[in-house]
Amino acid sequence: MTFAQTVAILMFFLAFFGLITSRNIVKSIVCLVIKETSAIVFFLGLRFREGILPPIGESLSQPLEYIADPLPQALMITAIIIGLAVTAVDIIMLIYLTHETGSTDWDEVKAKTKARVASLDYE
Amino acid sequence: MSQTLMVLWILSAVPILFEQKIMKMILYLGAYSLITSIVFLIFGAPDVALAEASISIFSTIFFIICFEKYYDLKDTYIKIKWHKFILPACFTIFLAALFFWFAPTATPSTYSMELYINNFMNEVGGTNAVTAIYLGYRLYDTVFEALMLLITAIAISHLSWHKEKTTLEKHRYIKISKQAADIVNIITPILPIFGIYLITYGHLSPGGGFQGGVVLAAFFVCRYMIRSINDLPVVLLERFEKLIFSSIVLLAVFLVFLGIPEYIAMDAPPIFKSVYLVTMNMLIGLKVALGFVMLFYRFITIERV
Repeated sequence: MTFAQTVAILMFFLAFFGLITSRNIVKSIVCLVIKETSAIVFFLGLRFREGILPPIGESLSQPLEYIADPLPQALMITAIIIGLAVTAVDIIMLIYLTHETGSTDWDEVKAKTKARVASLDYE
Repeated sequence: MSQTLMVLWILSAVPILFEQKIMKMILYLGAYSLITSIVFLIFGAPDVALAEASISIFSTIFFIICFEKYYDLKDTYIKIKWHKFILPACFTIFLAALFFWFAPTATPSTYSMELYINNFMNEVGGTNAVTAIYLGYRLYDTVFEALMLLITAIAISHLSWHKEKTTLEKHRYIKISKQAADIVNIITPILPIFGIYLITYGHLSPGGGFQGGVVLAAFFVCRYMIRSINDLPVVLLERFEKLIFSSIVLLAVFLVFLGIPEYIAMDAPPIFKSVYLVTMNMLIGLKVALGFVMLFYRFITIERV
């Protein structure tokens, strides 16, 4: 593994730590965003070296070990767009949950949702 | 240089995890995304850097809309209980150690990279290998990614409509300060030109449909920020986005999956290949721009709340 990939994995687990210790929904969503970004950095860090050239235009005439791999880049562009879509859905669910319960704390939201479900009639 | 940047990158995420004020956390997230896009630039991936830089605008702005318009969460504090951090920290360190113990040590193969870089100019066209991959060799990914974006846009628009499909007339405008409005005023006319440049030159230089589309959508966000105009017909936008998606699929099926370009690709002059790439990039750019404009306009007028 390259240095960049090691740092990306450390970042991934840092965000994982934030995710399992967070008591707030907003913080959980932010940690998910960081996790996604660090996975992207991990894949782009394949075969990384100092002063690597993009696979575009004139730099394609250089030898192959000086050019970045285009395949992970093409896949990661789509991953970034999907990441924003996931974040948007997360935020709209957060808006409803906060509208129903008036809080962004996981414990309070859980307790209030439980009370609300218990008070509903299923007949 | 790159190692310093990577250390800076990991340090920029630490304040996010230990920040107690929500609004500050979102602003730190914006700074983190900026540093991430610089990291992508160092990695030799200017396309991904452009995508990340333009996307991070939107994720920050969605959070800020959520807090500014609907709930007054600016003063909400996240309670941090330090004594509850010990067990999760041990668990995380255990998982990380497990990962590094079993991490693959072999160097990655260069077979596919050689194949793509040596052949893409003849087989797909253009001089940007990344565009050639996502519009030629891996078109399925692009089509399904566009489908995912369409599904998200439809889901969000239908979650936010209550009964009648109209926009609210009495919604709170986001107030921005005079200085910020002046700066946005300077940036706004540049954005559509930059977006169209990114889309039309995407096959020759860094850029492409996704990045240009997001920049075009950012133009409408800036327009709303300065003048508080809320006049776009969202229903029409959604219908138009579906139409453009179906034309992308039709173009992909007829031109690529049926194998027609293989007859023209080898001997055709480069202009014919460029026509396909530019058309596809323009369709994708329009679709992404419509999708994000629709997401933004649905976010500022949620009727169920």
